[in-house]
Amino acid sequence: MEPQPKRRKESMENDDADSWVALPVLSDQQSRDTELVPAFAAPITDKKETSRLIKELHSLYPLAGLPHIKRVRPRGGGDGGGGPHSLEVLVCLVSDAPDVDPRGDSFAIGSLLPSGGGGVRPDGLGPPFLVKVPACPPLTRPQFQVASKHWPTAFHEDKRVTVALRGELFSRPQKARMQGYMEAALEAARAGGGGGGGGGAGAAMVDPKAERIVAVGHDCRGENPLHHAVMVCIDLVARGQGGGAYRFDKYPACTSASPPAGSSSSDPKPAPKTSQTAAESAEEGQPYICTGYDLYVTREPCVMCAMALVHSRIGRVFYGAAAPDGALGTKYKIHTQRDLNHRFEVFKGVLGQQCRDLNGCEDKPVTEH
Amino acid sequence: MGTESEIPGAGLQPVFHPTDEDIEKWMSRAFEMAQDALQNGEVPVGCLLVHGGQVVGQGRNQVNQTRNATRHAEMVALDQLLEWCRHGNVDPHSVCLRTVLYVTVEPCVMCAAALRLLNIPVVVYGCGNERFGGCGSVLDVSSAQLPHTGTAFKCVAGYRAQEAVEMLKAFYKQENPNAPKPKTRKD
Ligand SMILES: [Zn+2]
Ligand SMILES: [Zn+2]
Repeated sequence: MEPQPKRRKESMENDDADSWVALPVLSDQQSRDTELVPAFAAPITDKKETSRLIKELHSLYPLAGLPHIKRVRPRGGGDGGGGPHSLEVLVCLVSDAPDVDPRGDSFAIGSLLPSGGGGVRPDGLGPPFLVKVPACPPLTRPQFQVASKHWPTAFHEDKRVTVALRGELFSRPQKARMQGYMEAALEAARAGGGGGGGGGAGAAMVDPKAERIVAVGHDCRGENPLHHAVMVCIDLVARGQGGGAYRFDKYPACTSASPPAGSSSSDPKPAPKTSQTAAESAEEGQPYICTGYDLYVTREPCVMCAMALVHSRIGRVFYGAAAPDGALGTKYKIHTQRDLNHRFEVFKGVLGQQCRDLNGCEDKPVTEH
Repeated sequence: MGTESEIPGAGLQPVFHPTDEDIEKWMSRAFEMAQDALQNGEVPVGCLLVHGGQVVGQGRNQVNQTRNATRHAEMVALDQLLEWCRHGNVDPHSVCLRTVLYVTVEPCVMCAAALRLLNIPVVVYGCGNERFGGCGSVLDVSSAQLPHTGTAFKCVAGYRAQEAVEMLKAFYKQENPNAPKPKTRKD
C-alpha cells in the first residue's frame, strides 16, 4: 500500500483543479453566431444527370464568396424522402434571383434560370425550394456544427482551438501550475487590500519556460490612479531587468526577481509561438520585456492595461473574472485586434470563483443594493 | 483646420475648451519639444498638460531608459501632474477636470485610456497615429461608452498635422536607414 497522506494531497489538488476551466477568449469572427443566407436548392430526380447539372449550375451560378459551401447534399434534411441515394443541389442564392417569388403559382426551376436556360438544361431537376446556407466558413467546431445542420460545409479545423474550447488544452500538471500562479496573484490582491480602487486586483508575471514567477503586483491606485496591478507588474519586470520607473518598496507584496543567468539558453523547450525574436526587438530599439511571458491576473484587464500588455509584447494572458469594461473579451478583444502589431492568446476562468469572490459585488449585475 | 468629436452625455458638464490662442501657444511648445527629441534621436512626440495657464506636466518617451514599454510621453506627463498635485497639496481630480493635453501625435489606446481614468476633458493633437491611435485610428477609446474607465474626452485634431507626420517620418528614416519595414501580419 502506498502511504496515504501523499495520495490524499494529490487528489485534493486534482479536485481543486477540477473546479475551474480555462477557456480561450477568441476573436469575434471565431465566436460569433453562424450567419445564414437564403438560397434555392432542388432535388436531383435523375442521378445520371448529377455531374452535368453541377457543372452547368456552377458556371451559371458560381456562388463566389461561398467556397466553403458544398454544392450537393444527400436528400432530405432528415425526412427520409427520396431514398438513400438521392441528392439535392444548391441552385443559387436568393440574391442571385432577385425577382423570383418562391410562393408564386408559377414558381418552378425555370424561374431560377435566365430565358434559354443560361447554359443549364434542367432535365433531372425537381421543384426548387428554399434553404439557408452559412454565409462564412466555420472557424471553430461549434460554428461548424451549427453550419452543417443547415447545409454541408467545409471546415478546416484548428485542432488546438477545438481542444481549447472543450477546456481540455491544459493537462492536470499544467493546471496545477497555472493554479499556483493565480494563487500568487490572489494573494497579492488580498495583500493590496483593495488598493484604494475597490476590489483591488492582483497579477503575477510568469516565465513559462523556466516555470517561475518573475514579478507579482497588486493595485496601488491610492497613490496613483494609473497604478493598476498589471501596470505595477510590468514596471516590476522592468525593474527586475535593471530598469523601471517607480519604486514599490513600501508594498511588500509587490516584488520582482531578476532572471537567473543563463536560464533561457539552457532551456530545451521550444519558445511559445507568440514570442518574438530578440533580433526583432532590437530592430525597433525597444525593450519588449514581457516577450514570451505569461500574465496571470485576477480580473480582466482594462483598456489601458490591455494595451500596455500589447506594448510589452506579452506572450499569453490568463484572467480569473471578467470585468465590465474589460478589454480582453468583454468590451474589446485587444489581443485579436487586426490593426495592432502584436497579438496574443487569452484564457479566462483560471480560479474563476475565487477571483470573482475577491472582486466582491463590484462585477455582479446591479441587482443588489 | 481642426476637427472635433463630441463627448456623449457631455451636455451635463460645464463647457471647458481651450481658446485658439491657447492651442497655438501650447502646440508650438509641444512641437518644439518634439523637434528637440528628434534632434536627440528620441521619438519625436512632444506633450504638455496645461492647467490654468501653467504647465503641470510634460514628457518625453522614456521607454528605453526605463525598459518599460508603457513609458510613453503622455504617461510621463500624467505622473508629473500627479506629483505636482501632491507637492502643492491640491486635489488631482479637480485639477484634471480643468487640464488640457497638447500633444503632437494622437495618443495611443493605452494613453487614451489613462487620460480617461484621470478625467482629462480635452486633448489637442497634431497628426493621427495609424498604428496605435486610441482616439479613432485603431480604437475610439476617447468617446467610447466605458462607464468604469473614467470619462470620455473631447479631441481637437489636425493642428499642424503634416508637420507632425514629417517629424515622425524623419525619425523612422534615421532609425532605419534601409527604409522602414512594415510589420507583416501573422494570421
Ligand atoms: Zn487597468
Ligand atoms: Zn501611448
